[in-house]
Amino acid sequence: MSTERLIDIFALMASHESENPHGASLCSVAREITELSGAGISITSKDGMQEQLCTSNGLAQKLMDLEITLEEGPGHEASQNGAANEVSDLLGDEGQRWTFYSPEAVELGARAVFGFPIQIGAVVFGALSLYRDRTGPLSEDQSSSAYLMASVIGRAVLVMQAGAPRGAIANELQGQSTFDFTVHQASGMLSVQAKLSVKDALIMLRAHAFAVNVSPAELAHRIIDRDTRFDLQSGDWLETKLENEKYEH
Amino acid sequence: MRREALIVNTLVELADNLVDHFDIIDILTLLSDRCVEALDVDAAGVMLASPGGELQFVASSSESMRVLELFQIQTNEGPCVDCYRSAAPVVNVALGEVNGRWPLFTPRAIAQGFHSVHSLPLRLRGRTIGALNLFRTSQGPMEDDDVAAAQGLAHVATIAILQHRAILDATTLNEQLDHALTSRVVIEQAKGIIAEATHCGMDQAFGRLRAHSRNHNEGLTGVASAIVAGTLGANDLDKPK
Repeated sequence: MSTERLIDIFALMASHESENPHGASLCSVAREITELSGAGISITSKDGMQEQLCTSNGLAQKLMDLEITLEEGPGHEASQNGAANEVSDLLGDEGQRWTFYSPEAVELGARAVFGFPIQIGAVVFGALSLYRDRTGPLSEDQSSSAYLMASVIGRAVLVMQAGAPRGAIANELQGQSTFDFTVHQASGMLSVQAKLSVKDALIMLRAHAFAVNVSPAELAHRIIDRDTRFDLQSGDWLETKLENEKYEH
Repeated sequence: MRREALIVNTLVELADNLVDHFDIIDILTLLSDRCVEALDVDAAGVMLASPGGELQFVASSSESMRVLELFQIQTNEGPCVDCYRSAAPVVNVALGEVNGRWPLFTPRAIAQGFHSVHSLPLRLRGRTIGALNLFRTSQGPMEDDDVAAAQGLAHVATIAILQHRAILDATTLNEQLDHALTSRVVIEQAKGIIAEATHCGMDQAFGRLRAHSRNHNEGLTGVASAIVAGTLGANDLDKPK
């Protein structure tokens, strides 16, 4: 039963987190849970560039540097397309999609690479790049683990960007279901109120939830019930009443 | 319309959908609607398993917040969870008699007026990928014929997910499932945008997505993605007639 794998991930994260800089544990856990040679996580910056969050080891670091410099590679492609990719042999046909990255990556010691987007719905945050020093595809278990890890990373990035204190990540993630429709609906509403992308609205919602000491789900309910809204003109969160406006229900 | 005829029509409709513009959320929503029409049930919905084995809501016959909550609450307990874990049908459970089996789910389901629940597994090549959940307000067990028909519709749902792969060129079941789960999130994000921009409820927001998708022969997820990306304005959506 693969929920156990999720529990394994959280346990690993909790144990790695205290020893590593913020977020670095995610990479070492990703590598460990997929049983590959290396892992790297990149986040897409506001101007659409790939930026490194962390890498699990020396090989992963060099490959990440390569991807970012060349703007080619599994993570780069995954974050651009919002879809996973797999090159089980960098020297084979599939590897030819990256003219410069593939031969260089082989020089560095990689033979197979895999990219998974880090996303929440339509919002792509970045990518998880995985490497193996031998050729071969991912097994179904490895693929499941990678998808799972990508969703955990997505939530962790949200938590980090909302300003959670160190050590809070593992706890925060465990407390919430991966799918909470109210949070997604509220993010949509907030994106219109604050004139932000849904991605930034999601982060803003979580940051405000932290600030007022409620769960994101509770704040989301308030937004959906129209008890709370963000007012762009004043730049403030307002408590509103329903008397003035009638909405269809 | 007689139940058998409705079921046959549903299969034909789904087959058509598989060939035309193809969207997994569309298909599973249609399936849920037809369950309510063809069988003696009052609400239906589909949950799929994420790679981590956690069930996530993807489609239902009703977009009301209260029904969605009944699916969402089934993360760690509930008929869907039991069905998924055992890979076996959970049928004719009378909610008044569950005796603490699902402490979070049961009171909420009863509060919505449901008296019994049923959950049928979606299985593909030995792997259970989710569950079809049915809710009834009437007392008494569901007829065997209805249970069999529901399982048949569940098989169709599973095939629909498999067919999705062929058209999307996805190579693994994991990718297909991931796409379905992600699509649902996009739809929720789009509902929020529409509700705020046009001052309507979430139910109506979904209705507008659906109406626009049908009028333009475009998949539901595609329309939702365009709303989230900002390439389609919420106020430019077709209104349901």
